[in-house]
Amino acid sequence: MKLRIGVYICSCGTNISENLDIDELARVSSSLDTVTYVKVHNLLCSEEGKNYLAEDILKEKPDRAVIAACTPKEHEKTFRNVLQKAGLNPYLFQMVNIREQIAWVTSDKTAATDKAKSAIRMAVRRVALHEPLEKKEIDCNTDALVIGAGPAGMEAALLLAKAGRKVSLVEKNAFIGGRVARYEEVFPKMECASCMLEPIMDEILHDENIELLSCSEVQEVLGFVGNFVVQIKKNAGFVDKDKCLGCGACYDVCPVKIKNEFDYNLSERHAIYVPYVGALPNVPVIDKKNCLRFKGENCTLCKESCMFDAINYDDKDELLERNVGGIIAATGFELFDPSVLPQYGYGRIPEVYTSLEFERLLSQTGPTGGKLLMKNSKEPESVAIIHCVGSRDKNFKEYCSSVCCMYALKFARLIEKHSPSVKVYDIYADWCVPGKDNQAFLNSVREWENIKFLHTSLPMNAEIQQKGDAITVSCTDINGKKNELSCGMVVLCPAMLPSKDNMRLSELLQITKDQDGFFAEGHTKLAPVSTNIDGIYIAGCSQGPKDIQNSVAQGAAAAGQVLASLVPGRKLELDVMTAEIDGKACAECMICLNLCPYKAIVLDREKKVAVVNTVLCKGCGTCVAACPSESANSRHFTTQQIFAEIEEALK
Amino acid sequence: MCNWCSYAGADAAGSARKTYPPNISVIRVMCTGRIDPQFVLKAFQSGADGVLILGCHPGDCHYKEGNYKALRRFHLLRRMLGQLGIDEGRFRLDWVSASEADKFVATVHDMVKTVKALGPLHKITAPSSLGTKGKGSGAFQEMGNG
Repeated sequence: MKLRIGVYICSCGTNISENLDIDELARVSSSLDTVTYVKVHNLLCSEEGKNYLAEDILKEKPDRAVIAACTPKEHEKTFRNVLQKAGLNPYLFQMVNIREQIAWVTSDKTAATDKAKSAIRMAVRRVALHEPLEKKEIDCNTDALVIGAGPAGMEAALLLAKAGRKVSLVEKNAFIGGRVARYEEVFPKMECASCMLEPIMDEILHDENIELLSCSEVQEVLGFVGNFVVQIKKNAGFVDKDKCLGCGACYDVCPVKIKNEFDYNLSERHAIYVPYVGALPNVPVIDKKNCLRFKGENCTLCKESCMFDAINYDDKDELLERNVGGIIAATGFELFDPSVLPQYGYGRIPEVYTSLEFERLLSQTGPTGGKLLMKNSKEPESVAIIHCVGSRDKNFKEYCSSVCCMYALKFARLIEKHSPSVKVYDIYADWCVPGKDNQAFLNSVREWENIKFLHTSLPMNAEIQQKGDAITVSCTDINGKKNELSCGMVVLCPAMLPSKDNMRLSELLQITKDQDGFFAEGHTKLAPVSTNIDGIYIAGCSQGPKDIQNSVAQGAAAAGQVLASLVPGRKLELDVMTAEIDGKACAECMICLNLCPYKAIVLDREKKVAVVNTVLCKGCGTCVAACPSESANSRHFTTQQIFAEIEEALK
Repeated sequence: MCNWCSYAGADAAGSARKTYPPNISVIRVMCTGRIDPQFVLKAFQSGADGVLILGCHPGDCHYKEGNYKALRRFHLLRRMLGQLGIDEGRFRLDWVSASEADKFVATVHDMVKTVKALGPLHKITAPSSLGTKGKGSGAFQEMGNG
């Protein structure tokens, strides 16, 4: 049975009609034996035009429609809607661009009309091969997994929980709060960091929609957006959190003393411990590697000291499974190791510290109780702070780490507050202090009489040597003059790097990383928390160096993405123009699988074919062009449809 | 042309009323990554004197990497076409963003100029004597066909 193909030509007022001969175009098009009828209209996109189109479709009942008008980028959607309402599948339609790409760009009217004739013929041949594609929907889970319980992860978890979603919050450490748990005060308002975090952490621990899985790591992620299955390993802590009151009786009886990594080895802890006073959850864990009992000895000192019978040596690691719809990766940062740069003396000279180590020295819960003391328990006479160690340096990290200028000023302000007689030398290359309050903070720290600023040029060229009891710092300033100063302590501001976990997680989640290992955002400006994988979002320093304010904002943004895309009661609508693979010809060569940027193709090992997951497929067609056996085809952009256009174009 | 950048760039040229020769026929795909080398061969076989592929700039592909795939295939295919007797100047790939109306027009002008200088592409048809057993066939003869 012959297809009834209706052609509608729009003259777009005079836009099209003044540059090509509409009547001639209509005449020639209706003489094609594949065309059933041709109708001309003045302005199809107007209300009147759309009504005319709908009524005409209802009347003529064509099997296919071709509309020659403006660019499809303008009105393809408009006309698809009209056709759908008029009872014609919106994909049994092809639009012809006779305005932007013919009428408006061709100087000769006859040549323009000829080109339009050819374009309509191409569309008529193509549309005959169109299929009536139908939108599909699938169910989705609206709960979420958040990886990382720092400021970004906690913000995301709280927002999601508030909206009624169940959140599994996975944290590899025994404590929550991320890096901020290590700070005494935060810039620019010099707020007490723990006071700031306290109410947030409290909510995390008590919200009934949040399941905190501390000492846990994600092992495997299967599935896709709306339908993820996640495997999480929860490491045994050997202390029952429901029985433990956090009284601390078990710590001091433990005979083992080892370096406390929370304090960057500047203090010691026991084998049963909380990393710092005030850590949350307030439940100690036993460090299996260093505990005497786990090394074979029959020590039960901690268990004997516990009045609540909370210690259980038989606790086992658990493998948990969770079903979620969306995942947020907020794995934070670590610092560049300055021992790679021998001129800074880090690791060689005892009183050279990284900024995170220095935070512990200034913290009330740290190794010195917040007093600025050197390892010999004396107060230094002066402290030098060096910016841009490894940052803004083409040999290491080209980027600016965003927070160092501000925390260097914070250090100066804290020293001024608690150890006002200590002098501070601040060696900087530039001031990076964007944001509403930060410039004012810089201005105010500048006024302190005990701080001296040394302006150098990039890359940072400070050299640090131990000279007797003191440290000498030499560097060339911005005027080329060599400066030398003597101080008791040096604080380095190393570049911010992504957490080492990003490597492993990016493989598990199949999300891409940038050249520095940070998770790659979908689009720098327009999709800062999305990734190449639908349903997986990123937030905080795992995406790039940033301060707490921006980390929290991104945590909220990522939660927003989950809330918007996965709605209870609403099904996930699948893209229509996806790729499909004909199993009969597929040879499992896996070329398509490896090419797909969205990991939308999987191997069905039983049927021995590659299968396109239409939830993830975006319809780019890269796999189709690459398939050597032509088993892959692109819905609505099939090879046959394009061949038809090509052949007709050249007749 | 790909739907997201180059097609939009061509539309932008239209909105700006810039003129260019009418002898290009446009085939829209969602991504230049969709362009199967067979499309190019089909085009030449059907009578095209030149084939032009326009996509998003590297790094800007709407589908992340499709344009890189197109680039790889283009380089290989162009060399192959050369070996088949089709001058490499007849096959071109370039990047046009949605805002580069001028670049689009300039590229079209340049392509038309290049292909015009190369002249129409003649189809070679095998003489009917080829394939008969025992009888040595002569060399191919170029027969004008269009």
